[in-house]
Amino acid sequence: MSWHLTPAQAHEYAHHRADEVTAMSVEAHITHCAPCRDLLPADEDWLARSWEELRDVVDRPRRGPVEALLASLGMREGTAKLLAATPALYRSWLLATVAVLAAALLAAHHLPRGSLMFVFVAPVVPLAGVALAYGRGVDPAHSLTSVTPLAGQRLLFLRTCAVLVPALTLCMSVSLLLPSAHTPGRAAFWLLPALTLVAGSLVLSRWIHLSAASAALGVLWLVALSVMAVSEHAAPIQLLLPQAQVWWAGALVALLGAILLRVRTA
Amino acid sequence: MTTATTTTAPVHVRGLVHRYGTHGALDGVDLDLGPGVTGLLGRNGAGKTTLLRCLATDLEATNGELRLLGRDPGRAAERTEIRRRLGYLPQNPEFYPYFTAFGLLDYMAVLKELGGRRARHDEVRRNLDRVGLHDRRHSRIRRLSGGMRQRLGLASALLGDPEVLLLDEPTIGLDPEQRIRFRGLVSELAVHSTVVLSTHQIEDVAALCQRVVCLDAGRVAFDGTPDELVDRARGHVWERDGHPGEGYTAWRLADGRYRVLTPAGVAPGDTDGLEPVEPSLEDAYLLITGVEEGRR
Repeated sequence: MSWHLTPAQAHEYAHHRADEVTAMSVEAHITHCAPCRDLLPADEDWLARSWEELRDVVDRPRRGPVEALLASLGMREGTAKLLAATPALYRSWLLATVAVLAAALLAAHHLPRGSLMFVFVAPVVPLAGVALAYGRGVDPAHSLTSVTPLAGQRLLFLRTCAVLVPALTLCMSVSLLLPSAHTPGRAAFWLLPALTLVAGSLVLSRWIHLSAASAALGVLWLVALSVMAVSEHAAPIQLLLPQAQVWWAGALVALLGAILLRVRTA
Repeated sequence: MTTATTTTAPVHVRGLVHRYGTHGALDGVDLDLGPGVTGLLGRNGAGKTTLLRCLATDLEATNGELRLLGRDPGRAAERTEIRRRLGYLPQNPEFYPYFTAFGLLDYMAVLKELGGRRARHDEVRRNLDRVGLHDRRHSRIRRLSGGMRQRLGLASALLGDPEVLLLDEPTIGLDPEQRIRFRGLVSELAVHSTVVLSTHQIEDVAALCQRVVCLDAGRVAFDGTPDELVDRARGHVWERDGHPGEGYTAWRLADGRYRVLTPAGVAPGDTDGLEPVEPSLEDAYLLITGVEEGRR
């Protein structure tokens, strides 16, 4: 283009009074002609803001699939980031969980009394995840994160949620595939013990390391079941019968009350 | 913790005691720290890291009084308020290796409750710029060198321009250019912030600190300016042509002569050839922390 904008043309264009053909011609011209571009008034603040916003869109880190999923479900961006960013051991735990539950499912279908294996492991699976969710020794960046405002109970509960949701989903999926599962209600026999053990470990974490608390309760559960399994007068299934479920529910309510009290008095 | 006394110092410590089981790491530390850089010196095991962890609210003291920014870290609500205004670089920080540099700082900024996404990202970029990691912002942490990780830890501590900044061995792994940059950054922050720098790098203390605190066996062995520390060493630093023999802290210099330290109350046994020299901060540090552990 051999012509240049006159001040009158620039004024017409800037005030949206140029006809469509002229406006298109001006826009094509000013993209490569700095002197003509300078004739047009510019809102520097708007330009700076726009540039910053553009830069942020281009430069921000890409969200992981879990974070993107949580955000698309309406979760606050910061919370989604915290839930998605779990310690490295979390992935190992998830893989181990899938392997153990698959083995339990195979045992249930192909071995006599094979369902017992699922009874043993289902309540321990979420507990193991919680043990690896938070604290010195299991979280590589704990020395950095432990002195932030969100550290402590808030981060602990967030991480617990991040572990509980996949753990409970996996256990429920496997329990629905058990030979003895006829209804979802019957398939959920392990749920209350699992939640009670997790709540117990959270309560105990006030006095001892979360991993130690979870390990102690997990061992207690396995020892109790083993003793009942070899006893002539008891059977492991007694811990999961409807009468026992009432006791589990009572213990869970009491432990949740203790957690609530701890949060409120903190 | 005992009842608080009224104080305006951002960091107020009285009779602070911390024990790991039966081992006493801090044994009655008294300090009041205000804006500026305070160097925390001491031998390994003197209690520097334990003191910093107590100040960072990472560790609860066994006994004593601690007030940070006028608040009691023993109370959860006040501890959270302190943490909003505090930056801490631990010794040998570890990270999630699969995070990018930007991703880690963004995660830390969320944990520090720093504003909405745009403001947070701007703060992350500003601090990556400050430590010279802007070009590596999208690199995974496992691909960063040790020095770069150290700078990333520093950037994390600097998020939000904290009023109290606690740095434990911050210059480990930094090259000379980065150390100069670090000093500029800390000096700039120390105009308004209280910076505590635990280090074995005496040259960093000489370059940065208006105040030096030497810890020895969990107690404050010296608290004053670097000049006052050097003054204490006058009359105890010598040079001579040969080694003075057993019982002295002495080391060979580049010119072949020996630098000799004699602690207070110890007269040199062989005075032949001992020439008094101007002490350095390093000499003073070695004398205050016990010359028997110095270089021989």
